[in-house]
Amino acid sequence: MAHPQIAAFARLAEGNVKPRRSIAGQNTLITRTIHDLAYDPVRDEIIVPQLFAQAILTFRGGADGDEAPIRILQGPKTQLSDPERLALDPVHGEIFVPAIDRVLVFPRDGQGDVAPIRILEGPDTQLRGEGNVAVDPVHNLLFMNGVARVPGRGRMGQVLVFDRTASGNAKPKAILRGPMTQIDNPYKMVVYPPRKLLLVGIRTEHAASEDSFVGVWSIYDTGNVSPRWTIGGPKGILRQPRGITLDPKNKNVIIADKYLNSVFTFSFPEVF
Amino acid sequence: MALISRLPNKTFRFYSFVVLIAIAGFLVIHSYSRQSEPPSAGGDAKLVSVQPLPEMDAAMCEWVPASARTSLLIWQRDAGPRAAASDVSRVAAAKRPPIRTVGDSYSVFSAVAVDPVRNEVVMTDENLFSILVYDRLENTPPGASLSEPKRMIRGLETMLEFQCSLYVDPANGDIYAVNNDTMNRLVVFSREARGNVPPNRFLETPHTTFGIAVDEKSQELMLTIQDDAAVVTYSKTAKGNDPPLRLIQGDQTQLADPHGIAIDPKKDFVYVSNWGTVNSRRVPAGQPRLAGESGDRLAHENEPLGRIHAVPGSGKFLPPSITVYSRASSGNTPPIQVIQGSQTQLNWPTALAIDPERGELFVANDTGDSIVVFNAAAEGDAAPIRVLKGSKTLIKNPTGVYFDQKNNELWVTNFGNHTAAVFKPTASGDTPPLRVIRSAPLSTPAPMLGNPHVVAFDSKREEILVAT
Repeated sequence: MAHPQIAAFARLAEGNVKPRRSIAGQNTLITRTIHDLAYDPVRDEIIVPQLFAQAILTFRGGADGDEAPIRILQGPKTQLSDPERLALDPVHGEIFVPAIDRVLVFPRDGQGDVAPIRILEGPDTQLRGEGNVAVDPVHNLLFMNGVARVPGRGRMGQVLVFDRTASGNAKPKAILRGPMTQIDNPYKMVVYPPRKLLLVGIRTEHAASEDSFVGVWSIYDTGNVSPRWTIGGPKGILRQPRGITLDPKNKNVIIADKYLNSVFTFSFPEVF
Repeated sequence: MALISRLPNKTFRFYSFVVLIAIAGFLVIHSYSRQSEPPSAGGDAKLVSVQPLPEMDAAMCEWVPASARTSLLIWQRDAGPRAAASDVSRVAAAKRPPIRTVGDSYSVFSAVAVDPVRNEVVMTDENLFSILVYDRLENTPPGASLSEPKRMIRGLETMLEFQCSLYVDPANGDIYAVNNDTMNRLVVFSREARGNVPPNRFLETPHTTFGIAVDEKSQELMLTIQDDAAVVTYSKTAKGNDPPLRLIQGDQTQLADPHGIAIDPKKDFVYVSNWGTVNSRRVPAGQPRLAGESGDRLAHENEPLGRIHAVPGSGKFLPPSITVYSRASSGNTPPIQVIQGSQTQLNWPTALAIDPERGELFVANDTGDSIVVFNAAAEGDAAPIRVLKGSKTLIKNPTGVYFDQKNNELWVTNFGNHTAAVFKPTASGDTPPLRVIRSAPLSTPAPMLGNPHVVAFDSKREEILVAT
């Protein structure tokens, strides 16, 4: 992808439109492809991982153009190795960064070479490359997803659920996994605490499949459980859903699709 | 009781069974709702603790065959019309179309190369995932909506997605197109290819290839690798899992998020543009050298050290640069020349092109909205000898640049405005192009959504943040 950016589109933007603003350029310190981003409504800040420089960048919420970040987490104490994804807990002020078979947790205000305040790691966590992360700060849950090799059952997508404050070799409280979940290749997740719901983007093995969808589960669902609602698939509009975000005020679910190079807004009051 | 006593034993047993099933069903639903939603600790969306889920001391087991939720679904399925209506509404919800879509319905030019023998210009399109071939002299009239390509390669069979660089073989017109970070494949099409056709051959490449340069004399092709801050060299005819012939990688190389690459055949030098972010890679003593995004296989000696070997906390932010190497160099080799510093005006230097006769280096300076031209022998904090920039040039987020030596023309692809523009190589300042090929109606806005990977909602400004 030739040109990375963080673009801000008006909520009602439609079709071939320019973003209202775009964060891009040498001073921003970002690069391709930005695999995650969090907006902090409490501080009005944007938080982005930087894979190559092993850093977490924080921008002003209204940042525009070739603007430098206001804070940078980076250095040997951070233990950051390949930070591609993150999740923000805006209530408790923490940033969660998956790192292959670990999750590093940093203070939101961390600046420079700051050590994690806790690390979730160890064989009992069952973390084996779970790359996507979401936090429910109200019900104190941490969600990690990825694809696991399950003895006797092959490759299976799964969502691991931990206590938000889990650290060390903690076991998951629950695992969402199995054929009824249809979780094949789980991708980005988002939590809606008021309705206790978890939304997960699911891609099939086949590239650009019309069977890809976003599934909605209760945050307390566990085991081999069908999604309560789905957006897209089978033979639906989504081909490779990536980012998911919510606009609760307008009861909208917003989904980015890589294959279609588009951002879709769905009215989905069932979730709100 | 009187009624029950009048029932035959068989009927009694049947009704008893029904009652037991009903009680069991109630208990299942009741237990599900209790397990599914722990009691609220004081209302919705407040910073409170809730009753934790039961501690699981034993090894975590998957609930097979069913959780209470599954039992509930089975019960619902058996419950008849009401459940059927629910399923209908769920299916309808799944098929609900979006109320709004942000996206570009036109091709967006990324990389460019000229076939001087057949008088064609070839461009990659990272929006609709295509390769577009135009007559070299095509010039979209101002009143026209757009120029139709002579040929288009597009579709799932093509393996085309985010093709960010391009090479056209002057001997036979073969098109080499490099995918950045979604396919890990360099695809090669014959000049006759059109439509939804598979490539004539493909080469499995390291993740995040960006630039391509080919040395016809040695019949080798060179690729930059963003993730691994490396340059790999393959045989030009490599295919499948053929390994690289050489590798440039290591802290001494000063490669840092390398993008564009160009070969000066006269000097036998290779030029690489760097955006400036990098981390160190090491193989721990006694450990195998691994390759792949997740380090899931042993690496060939000329494959770059993958991110599994990244040294935690070694990441750096450096100024952007152009680094220069002997084309045949390998290993952890320092550059023989570095262009870097505030005078250079480099701002996300992306594609590169060389005019070997004039000894000039052209840089597509993405967020500088410019083409900066250096003396190819420049070193250090050197100012460009020319800068092509301004509203008349139409240059907006240029990601491709190509020097057509035969026709003495400079091509620029603008990711930011659906155009490819042609200039004299000596053009500077705010000079209008000689010709323009447009892929969209004049002034069509460009969302520039190349791989929209993540979205967030800015509730303060009512904006959708899209990171690519």
